[in-house]
Amino acid sequence: MGDQRVLVIDNGSYECRVGWSDCKEPELRFRNVLTKPRKDRKKEAIGSSEGSGTTSSAVEAPAEIQVGNDITNIEAVRAHLKSPFERNVITNWNHQEQIFDYIFTKMGFEGQENIGHPIVLTEALANPNFCRQQMSELLFECYGIPAVSYGIDALYSWDYYQQSRRKVSDALIISFGYSTTHVIPVLEGKIQLEHVRRLNVGGYHIITYLFRLMQMKYPVHLTAITISRMEKLVHEHCHIAVNYREELVKWAQLDYYEEHIMKIQLPYNAVTATNALLTAEQKQEKRRELALRLLEIKNRREREKLREDEQQLFVYNKLRQLYEQQKLQKFERALEQQQIGTLEELDSLIATINSRIKRAQERAQSAPRPSKQQDKLDKMPKPPEGVTQADWLADIHDKRDKLLRRKQARQQQRSEQAKRHTHAAQERMRIISSLAKSEKRRKANGEEEDDGFGMNDNDWDVYKRINRYNDDSDSDADNDQLLEFEKILNHYDANFDDGSVNVQAQSAAENYQLHFGVEDIRVPEILFQPSMIGCSEAGLAELIAFVLKLFPAEEQQRMVDHVYLTGGCGQFRGLKERLAKELLEMRPFQSQFAIYESDEHTLSAWLGACVQAEDPGFGQTLTTRQDYQERGSEFFREHKASNLFYPTPKD
Amino acid sequence: MEAKPKRSFKRPFAFPKNCVYRPLRQICNMERNKKLPADRPTYFTLNAPPSLVPAKKYSDISGLPAPYADPHTKLRYANADEYASMQNMPSDIINGYLTVRGYTSAVG
Repeated sequence: MGDQRVLVIDNGSYECRVGWSDCKEPELRFRNVLTKPRKDRKKEAIGSSEGSGTTSSAVEAPAEIQVGNDITNIEAVRAHLKSPFERNVITNWNHQEQIFDYIFTKMGFEGQENIGHPIVLTEALANPNFCRQQMSELLFECYGIPAVSYGIDALYSWDYYQQSRRKVSDALIISFGYSTTHVIPVLEGKIQLEHVRRLNVGGYHIITYLFRLMQMKYPVHLTAITISRMEKLVHEHCHIAVNYREELVKWAQLDYYEEHIMKIQLPYNAVTATNALLTAEQKQEKRRELALRLLEIKNRREREKLREDEQQLFVYNKLRQLYEQQKLQKFERALEQQQIGTLEELDSLIATINSRIKRAQERAQSAPRPSKQQDKLDKMPKPPEGVTQADWLADIHDKRDKLLRRKQARQQQRSEQAKRHTHAAQERMRIISSLAKSEKRRKANGEEEDDGFGMNDNDWDVYKRINRYNDDSDSDADNDQLLEFEKILNHYDANFDDGSVNVQAQSAAENYQLHFGVEDIRVPEILFQPSMIGCSEAGLAELIAFVLKLFPAEEQQRMVDHVYLTGGCGQFRGLKERLAKELLEMRPFQSQFAIYESDEHTLSAWLGACVQAEDPGFGQTLTTRQDYQERGSEFFREHKASNLFYPTPKD
Repeated sequence: MEAKPKRSFKRPFAFPKNCVYRPLRQICNMERNKKLPADRPTYFTLNAPPSLVPAKKYSDISGLPAPYADPHTKLRYANADEYASMQNMPSDIINGYLTVRGYTSAVG
């Protein structure tokens, strides 16, 4: 067995890394996701093949499932992405099988009878026996592998870190994953599995949190804010605040904000933007051009129709002449040719065509009418006679102000009515109850006792006053009038400013910018304060303290002497400093601790697994086919980087 | 079926139908129902304990420390400007902020 190359698979929930153990780096790295092209497209393809009667095999084959790097545009299929993982555990074995197919095909096993190489595979901490059993069955039964070794990525990574350094037997490993974060105590080189704790927050949550925040901050750019872009932002710009509260307070100050804000330009289309920048006159000009062109097309079509009609009429008239000249036989044959039944039918046809031609000609004569209409639309209201323009404008200004005030008052009233215990709300209730009472009295008496309500048109306004929702017809009319006034003022009054001018002064590109400020510390902070995303679990610092407290003081000290950070999310700037601060707070006064960082955060697990696979004692760690057959599918051999094997009790 | 590129390294194999997919919660419950010894670690026992420090309050909109909360919308806010911007906020955004924070009203 020692002569066989070993295939190492670091099966992470974010990324999968595959390679031979004697290589420097994995040959294959891909996002651990797959997608099936949409079903309806598949159906269409089948339907078309049936329709045309061809049975080409290319069309009939079910749509190919795309895995990992085969997905060309991940954003296009974001909604259909599937992962075999739930958190950090594999639960969907169909998907895992597809992933293995992809791995083994890419690694060049196509054409071979089975996978004739031992495999090193990473798995979750305390992976449930059921899941491991499924995995073994899949690997041994379906792919026919000779042997497998299950290990934990964080422990492989720790192994790799010690390669070039002094061997250390005790450590506290903090492993930052895509869906989970682990705190792993190691004593005497052995993992203390019962004291490992897992925080169910990871890179996935950080990215999704940023995604949701940005979507709500910029509802206009909903489609431009994609997970991929947010991922990039998190990877490149987010960092962990050493003192979160202090940095937050800094962001509250305007000068600090102006100085440190990062503006992210979203892609935007210059063409649509210039369209938005056009002045009102240019827009009108464009519209007129468009109208003219449409009119021309319509005219041309009408002329063609007219010509056709005239030809038809000519033919029919000829027929008619035949009849009048008593050439009946010829006439009947011609009728048959034209598919016309009788003489009456011919006559009615001639009549309809005649009238159609007449109408078309009339229309052609009055063609210049639409442009007149256009003029009317463009015309601005003019000051009434006998009033100077200045007076008229002042009057309109007044009216507009009055309207605005009325609108504001209405809004105020409505917002007050929305809350209970205000005077407005009580007044409303009083009106409603009095209205209801008067109605009841009428019914009780049995006879129509008219209180005169509704005789006066103003009576009905009471319903407008108690209407709490939406704008009523009154405010609609007001809004229309307001628009009209503003149009006039915009046209005549150079000083008029309705508040929309400021917005336009900004360049259009700036409207497509995301302001990325406090988010750069706010988003990764959820590792330390999961309560920010509604997770009730203890934050990372609290969790470390909790895990340490499970051990006697002397062992605690041995572990904090080597706190080791690994995993993708461990790359945040400031993480080490922040943990140093937190440890300083939780450790006894003047005690020592040290934090070490992996030098290959994402790859070290794979590299560590390779180191172990090259080790002379590697054969002992393999769970062989014989083990699988003799000791059951849930059995696996323990080694220094593996989970502990606890057989499932028999019922 | 011959049209499909055959993966020669595979043997015919299929999981029993009820084993192809199980939610993680179900797997955890299966482990718990086995009546394992109390000290035996399982995926479930590795869960982080609930936090004992009181959750800090931050503004839903800006993320700044938030001393105030609007009783009407339940959103937290840091200053008057934010409060003003909240007044014209559509309800779906308000709800979005609340769900991100994990807030669920008692009334549902």
